[in-house]
Amino acid sequence: MALPNKVLPGFSASLYCQPTSTPTPLTTTQLALVASVSPIAVIGNLLPVEAIPAFGQDDAVANFSVAGTRQSDKIPTQSAPTSLSITAAWNPSDTNLLLMRGDAYSGVVDRTFVISATEGSNIVYYAFNGRVSQFQIDAQPGAEAKCMFTIHPRGNQYGWSNNA
Amino acid sequence: MAGQNNVSTYALAIQAQLTTTVSPVPVYGSFNRNFASQQKFVTWNLRNVHQEVYTGTTQSVKGIDRPIFQTNIYAGSLQDAFGIANTIIQALHGYSGQFGGLFYVSKIDVDFLYNSYDNDIGLHSIYLDCTLDIPT
Repeated sequence: MALPNKVLPGFSASLYCQPTSTPTPLTTTQLALVASVSPIAVIGNLLPVEAIPAFGQDDAVANFSVAGTRQSDKIPTQSAPTSLSITAAWNPSDTNLLLMRGDAYSGVVDRTFVISATEGSNIVYYAFNGRVSQFQIDAQPGAEAKCMFTIHPRGNQYGWSNNA
Repeated sequence: MAGQNNVSTYALAIQAQLTTTVSPVPVYGSFNRNFASQQKFVTWNLRNVHQEVYTGTTQSVKGIDRPIFQTNIYAGSLQDAFGIANTIIQALHGYSGQFGGLFYVSKIDVDFLYNSYDNDIGLHSIYLDCTLDIPT
């Protein structure tokens, strides 16, 4: 097994969440260790989301202006991990969607989430700790009911790993 | 998680539901070889069976199915054709419940497409599109 060395279809990405209502999130070191991350990326922890939204880091700069000069400087700062707005087809009994609902109700549950992208048996993982917010059900009558929620990652608590 | 529905069950249920709805008018899948001797009958064709597949390589991350079965009504008189069409629309449009005794549908949406006449076989026809919303 190795790190995928192909341009991957967006379809190949999946989102997993740590199980149980009182999870112990991974440490920053563990978030970048495949041995810690891969046990979360199993089918029992799969979140049945429609698409994986953009993930990674936000843009963040500090800038300043000095009177009498024309251009300010833009200084990159340590940017926060990107919040993920998730849409899933809503099954009211789905174990992992119920965990998200409980997290949103609480607002203070830290949980490790894992996004995996796969090419055959080669997998790259992005793992982060986050809290769930804005849990909503959208029941428009022309399609399946949607379950929408936002995962806000904790600052500095993410890591990349792979099964190479 | 959503499994793939069985399309064969769809066919059985459509036949059963239409048969119950328009009885005693006979119902056939796709074609009626006895059209020359029968002045009233209904055929149906199933299409657009598709559960949206969402992200990831796990096969069961899918949405609901909203298949359409087209119902073709044939009758020797225009009045009979519209009468059968009305029976189907009254019974099925907006219907929610067991479908053909085989599965539950949240909604049936009946769309009256058009009526026509075939001079070769001497039958009036009416075409309806029926969309099923099937929880998965």
